[in-house]
Amino acid sequence: MMRREPAWRLFSAELNSSSMTYKGEEEKSPSYLITPLGAKVNRVLAAGVLTDKENVGSEDEPMWRARVNDPSGSFYVNAGRYQPEASAALADLEPPKLVAVVGKVRTFSPDDGRVFVSIRPESIVEVDEAAREAWVLEACRSTMERMRALRLALAADGGTAEDLVKQGVPRQLASGMTMALDYYGVPDSGRYIRVLQEAFRFLLPDDDVDLGLTEDVSAIAEKEERSEVDVDAEDSIMELIDELDSDGKGAPISNLIDEAQNKGISEVEFEEISNSLMDKGLIYEPVLGKLKRI
Amino acid sequence: MDMEELTPTIEELKRVLEGKADEDTIVRELDTYINVYRSTLEAAKRGIVRKYGGEELEFVSGDGVKKKVERIEGNEQNVDLTVKVLHAEKREITARGEPKTILTGIIGDDTGTIPFTSWETDRFNLEKGGTYNIRSAYAKTWNDRPQINLGKRTEVEADASEIEVPQRVISYSAKEVKLSELMDGMGNVNVTAKVLSVGPKDITVRGEPKTIFTGTLADESGKVEFSSWGEFPHEEGEALRIENAYVRAFRGIPQLNLGERVSITRVDDDIGELEDLESSTPRSIGELEEVGGGLDVLVRGTIVDIRNGSGLIRRCPECRRSVLNDECITHGRVEAQQDLRIKAVIDDGGGALTCIVNRELSEALSGISMGEAQRMTEEHHDPDVVAKEMERRLLARAAEMRGNVVSDEYGMMMIAQDAKVVDVDVRADAKRLLDELEAML
Repeated sequence: MMRREPAWRLFSAELNSSSMTYKGEEEKSPSYLITPLGAKVNRVLAAGVLTDKENVGSEDEPMWRARVNDPSGSFYVNAGRYQPEASAALADLEPPKLVAVVGKVRTFSPDDGRVFVSIRPESIVEVDEAAREAWVLEACRSTMERMRALRLALAADGGTAEDLVKQGVPRQLASGMTMALDYYGVPDSGRYIRVLQEAFRFLLPDDDVDLGLTEDVSAIAEKEERSEVDVDAEDSIMELIDELDSDGKGAPISNLIDEAQNKGISEVEFEEISNSLMDKGLIYEPVLGKLKRI
Repeated sequence: MDMEELTPTIEELKRVLEGKADEDTIVRELDTYINVYRSTLEAAKRGIVRKYGGEELEFVSGDGVKKKVERIEGNEQNVDLTVKVLHAEKREITARGEPKTILTGIIGDDTGTIPFTSWETDRFNLEKGGTYNIRSAYAKTWNDRPQINLGKRTEVEADASEIEVPQRVISYSAKEVKLSELMDGMGNVNVTAKVLSVGPKDITVRGEPKTIFTGTLADESGKVEFSSWGEFPHEEGEALRIENAYVRAFRGIPQLNLGERVSITRVDDDIGELEDLESSTPRSIGELEEVGGGLDVLVRGTIVDIRNGSGLIRRCPECRRSVLNDECITHGRVEAQQDLRIKAVIDDGGGALTCIVNRELSEALSGISMGEAQRMTEEHHDPDVVAKEMERRLLARAAEMRGNVVSDEYGMMMIAQDAKVVDVDVRADAKRLLDELEAML
């Protein structure tokens, strides 16, 4: 029997941290991306804000690159001539829009050992806020299921996938979990609890969600160090974008770079900051070469 | 090759040769085979066992590797087995558009059992209860479980020896199982369930008329159809403990058979009220995949695809199959009739299945009536416009579907008896989930 690969619901933070791929030995067996929390992913369902899109192909043969933002970061979506329906849909969608994407995961690794994860969409549709929130909820549920399975796997120390199945872990997750532990080692669960905290804060904005994270010192230090610089610089860039957006169609990036340099922010730093702002869903690129506040 | 790496092989050879060659001899022989003549490890083992007169039990005969069932991993290209056939039945399938008869079932040896499929039904005559030497079979995995396949290169011959297949392995489960866990090929299963319906049925067995009892059983996990081949003096609503029944699947739906060896006792066990058992609770699609299907199953998930063949379609008036250009495969040129349907893939994150949704349910699910669909199609001069609109309205929506789930070589499919989009109460569910998370930390 041919089995249709299920669409995993997971946050971009988990998907984008993955670097292990696996392909079964049989002919035609699907390839999988194994995430640090043990998801064995061939297909995903993602939802969030389409923050920006760019046609890096030609008019006749478009190749769309787009980003879809969730509470933990952004999914990278690439659609070209072999995804005609998704390409056509992307051509019609003007960011920012709430969308859902069903697609296959792909990885790209330049020679330096890094691995970039993207989604090759089978379909992409506009959705309403309710559907987007329902997705965040499912991604939380699914992430928690993996954390529970991880706990069982660690408790069983050196157990096989079959042992996990006997304890009620779904077969595909059990198999992914043993591979993930072999390859990545024990994941930083604090990181995923933080991702969940962000997601629950998003779902329950009035509830003051606080998971009382006993953040380890190095993580706090790193975070503060980064955020001090980043927050100041990000604020300056946001202000600049507002200032230079004279016609409401966005601030020209070339002007932004010049002005940023006057404030002591280099072009490279500017690039990083604007990417980070896009990832956070604060700004987007309405047309090529311009940035605008969402 | 470093002799240290060969330690497991040396141990294996010592075991197989049972003292016919001492360790030094084995080490020297292996060194010669592998490091001097650079033969493969398998060939070296075979040669040494032959030379010193060991039983070839675990090893190669012909070109394949001889293996015990328990050691089949699912990636063997060429494997030999000596097995007993525990169960075998013929099936009609369609392979590359051609009808084909295959034989599927379960084989086993003293180490365990494994499902098999024979693709060359004419060449091999495998009978239930018989013992066979199978050469050059290949193994594959399905759902992470190994299976044996008998194909073009495979040779089969009857073997006079009697193999004892351990009892615990034949009966997958001597323990009590839930109805949702019943799986094709199981024997000696015990269930406790309530009779939802039962009635006599007249059939013909080998030319003789016979009355059997068929009906439906339910427990809190699900429902199953049953056939009782003997007396069945029980009525709707009775709770029963059924021991030593067996399971056969029809199109992937497991069915419980109460045969000669069954024992049925009435119990007071409170399984639940009939009404509660009538309404199903959602099943995990991943678990359904493991058992192959189910009766009157409820699934809940997200619609992730509206497949080709959805929307406004045309059907042959004779056989109701969908036709293209008013040309039926069986009935030729026909006056085709319009119909509306949705083939939706529903996915709960752990599995996915295709739901076939009829016109009435499609209209309710999509909010597009047959009349509107016809108008849309004419207006846009586009046969796909209805399917596209359905996709726009339904994709990424949470939905619940209920119906029988069958499976064939193309996967699992539900004929929906009920289909609806569900509204998720995100806040309430999120609060509940957050409580769970806090309890975990």
